[in-house]
Amino acid sequence: MIDMAERTVSILKAVGNPNKARIIAHLTKHRGETAEDLGKHLGYPLPTVYKYLRELEAARMIESEVKGKVRLYYPSDFKFMISPEKLMEAFEEQSVLDVYKARFGEDGMKRLIEVTEKAKAGKMTYRQAASTLGITYYEFISLLDETGSVNE
Amino acid sequence: MRLALLMNRKLVVDSSVLIILNRRGTLEEYLKRRKDEGYEVFIPRAIARELLDEPKKYAEEIKERLPTLARKILDSVGRINVAIEHGLIKVETVKYRKYSRIMDNVRKHLSELEAKPEHALKKGDPELITLIIQLYDKSREKVFVSTKDKGLLRALKAFDKRVEYEVLESP
Repeated sequence: MIDMAERTVSILKAVGNPNKARIIAHLTKHRGETAEDLGKHLGYPLPTVYKYLRELEAARMIESEVKGKVRLYYPSDFKFMISPEKLMEAFEEQSVLDVYKARFGEDGMKRLIEVTEKAKAGKMTYRQAASTLGITYYEFISLLDETGSVNE
Repeated sequence: MRLALLMNRKLVVDSSVLIILNRRGTLEEYLKRRKDEGYEVFIPRAIARELLDEPKKYAEEIKERLPTLARKILDSVGRINVAIEHGLIKVETVKYRKYSRIMDNVRKHLSELEAKPEHALKKGDPELITLIIQLYDKSREKVFVSTKDKGLLRALKAFDKRVEYEVLESP
């Protein structure tokens, strides 16, 4: 299950892209088309159509069913209201970093920065870093991700 | 012949990569792509625990205060479980008895890295390095590795005469 913020982002991405919005509009008028039909009618290359369909389906803006050997696509019955309050609600995220801060306070944050720097430089492994901070490996990796500190 | 060589390439993936991909919602896509490229993805048992048991316990601890975050974490555990059940991730048992000397050496290298007593080390690092060696011994073919952890790669480097491996760029 995707959360509200992820769903909001996927819907905004879908309706923000005119090509994807055209697919929804076209399917509303011509329900039950295949990817090939859509490609032909809208003039998009087939791989692009598949990519758009995947994204629209993930955002639950369209749905599909297999009939015989083909997959047919339909628009979902969705309504999307947007307002600053709705966006705030969607993006008010709960994070592992918040849990860490509440548990270890300012000193813990300083320690996290120090240990992360050492781990990023390869002076200790991520597991050693987690153990040094007294947290699980899962928490440490989540913290690296949330603070944008993952080695690329 | 080339196709045969490309099939069954063994790829050991560290949980740092799997956790991040899972958090970003691209785990399944990554695993399927690797499979299409002919890689079999392996993790040692200790890492499976890091991916399943630890986050589950963490989610239980926070679920009263932060239900959305707890649910998100439990969903991510579910996705790892599905990937394991579908064979996209293979959980391999490290043969402790056969590789006891290697394990000791890995622990020694790791403890030198951070000046921690060997007994205080988590199991994931030694098991991961030992699994790379174990898989290499089994097929005598280069083993591929994916991790975001430079320290782990430094420790693995100490064994480059013992095992042929290649580090894949992590996503």
